[in-house]
Amino acid sequence: MEILEETKKAKAQEDIDKPPFFKSWAGMYWLVLGNLAFLIVLFYIITKIYE
Amino acid sequence: MRLLDWIVLLGTLGFIVIYGVWKTRGSKDIEGYLKGDNSMKWWTIGLSIMATQASAITFLSTPGQAYEDGMRFVQFYFGLPIAMVIISITVIPIFYRLNVYTAYEFLENRFDLKTRSLAALLFLIQRGLAAGITIYAPAIILSTILGWNLTVTNIFIGVLVIIYTMSGGTKAVSVTQKQQMAVMMGGMLIAGFMVVRYLPADVSFGDAVAVAGKMGKMNVVDFSWDWKTSWDDRYNFWSGLTGGLFLALSYFGTDQSQVARYLSGKSIAESRLGLLFNGLLKIPMQFMILFIGVMVFVFYQFNQPPVFFNEAVRNKVQATAYADDMRQLEEKHATVFGQKQEAVKGLVVALRTDDEAAIAAAESKVDMLTTATKEVRSDVKDLITKAAPDAETRDTDYVFISFVMKYLPAGLVGLLLAVIFSAAMSSVSSELNALASTTVIDIYKRSVRQEGSDKHYVNASKLFTVAWGIIAILFATFASLLDNLIQAVNIIGSIFYGTILGIFLVAFYFKYIRGHAVFIAALLAEAVVLYCFMYTDIAFLWFNVIGCALVILFGFIAQALIGEKPKEIQQEV
Repeated sequence: MEILEETKKAKAQEDIDKPPFFKSWAGMYWLVLGNLAFLIVLFYIITKIYE
Repeated sequence: MRLLDWIVLLGTLGFIVIYGVWKTRGSKDIEGYLKGDNSMKWWTIGLSIMATQASAITFLSTPGQAYEDGMRFVQFYFGLPIAMVIISITVIPIFYRLNVYTAYEFLENRFDLKTRSLAALLFLIQRGLAAGITIYAPAIILSTILGWNLTVTNIFIGVLVIIYTMSGGTKAVSVTQKQQMAVMMGGMLIAGFMVVRYLPADVSFGDAVAVAGKMGKMNVVDFSWDWKTSWDDRYNFWSGLTGGLFLALSYFGTDQSQVARYLSGKSIAESRLGLLFNGLLKIPMQFMILFIGVMVFVFYQFNQPPVFFNEAVRNKVQATAYADDMRQLEEKHATVFGQKQEAVKGLVVALRTDDEAAIAAAESKVDMLTTATKEVRSDVKDLITKAAPDAETRDTDYVFISFVMKYLPAGLVGLLLAVIFSAAMSSVSSELNALASTTVIDIYKRSVRQEGSDKHYVNASKLFTVAWGIIAILFATFASLLDNLIQAVNIIGSIFYGTILGIFLVAFYFKYIRGHAVFIAALLAEAVVLYCFMYTDIAFLWFNVIGCALVILFGFIAQALIGEKPKEIQQEV
């Protein structure tokens, strides 16, 4: 019974620690890094257009 | 300041302070007071992290920076999102596993008590001085512009912050920062909208951006690199990515004023999301503030700007024997402005025609008159140096606030002043909270009195919050007696930051190096940094790199010489 309880707790904690929208945290990290890459490209385009 | 401005300003600030005290009322244990009962959701953490970093100077200086130098300052933040990812992966799980209150507590688990105490003391010295400057820097600008007494302004900011930070601890800091961020972003968006609205009727938003581009202000990204000259250029892509990454890693990973923000999270996931939220929004936020500065620049192409934006200094010169010289320079500035205004209008018309030759001709005329304006401003600065040698000749911090005071309608002036006060208060509250928690947890509870009750430590935390607040106010009040104080504090920060970062990098990534070795390495590295500071001409920003690299290098050497055995807890970490 105790083991079952511990497993349930561990599962609940795992659910709490899951990121929203993505299956793993790697997806969230790539979103942030992708956003950075997107902004740099966007800023480069702005720089070139208004140069 | 009109009555409506006073109502908006005092109403906004009063609401935030009362809300902070009311929302976090009731008795607390030490966990509740210093970690907010680990109940914060990710959006509260994210906004709190952003509000802590955004000080009043962010809103006063950044638009002025764009006015003078264009958009390129935004590159300084390119390393930040990468740092947020690295901290989310490596730092947060360790801090959560060890259930620490402060970042320095972790160092005792990984190394020993003396290393923890050393890092905590270095932080207290550095952040204690910075808290005074966080109050002083906006107070000196606001008192100059508004004619308020500097000491009263310092005390006003300091006392407001002490009230709710002492009353509610970490939770009060976080909940008030949500309101403060709302005021800051709302106020800046309205200011941006107003400056565009104040452009001449025949100049569209598109025209304004095109003019800014032709006048060199839309220089957002610069990928160029020259091995001889680019080292001195703080704001290019490469220095922003690398220097910005190191700075963000040390600030968000080792500075308790930021660590406390994400340690109050409900779970690892909430803390990570809070940091990643900052990683997503920080660059767009800085872009927006800089862009408002660029729009103010365009506005002043069609409206006569003052020859020098710090009116108090201008008045000071006019009260000396150099008053006539100043008047002549002002007349010359007005004449050049009249010609430039016509040239810029010509540029707008040329840009609409898409005629390359006409655009080039108009651009060349604008360039020539811009150079003439710069020459007049340079002459004014030389005159100020002669007439009032103690006066500050850099006026970019006054560009935005002087626009707000002169052109925004009643009510909005109060709102924009509330933005600046909110920004100052949000940073200072995090700093006081971090100083109090580090003093209580890392010094008092650990080394002075270990057997106190929970209530005793909560009271001690409140007492230290007030004490650090008073120290910050006193430092801010006497700051004007020192020359070039802000630079002095930046130098002091750089002297200690590198060593602290070095200790944490060793703790996280070099398991081979242990307690005695890292302690000796930190002391030696600090000694070398102090030597560089006193006896060499090395630019102070490099002290961060030198201190950090030397802790790692000396740590390896000392460990090899000592050959100490690892503690059990180190394997756990």
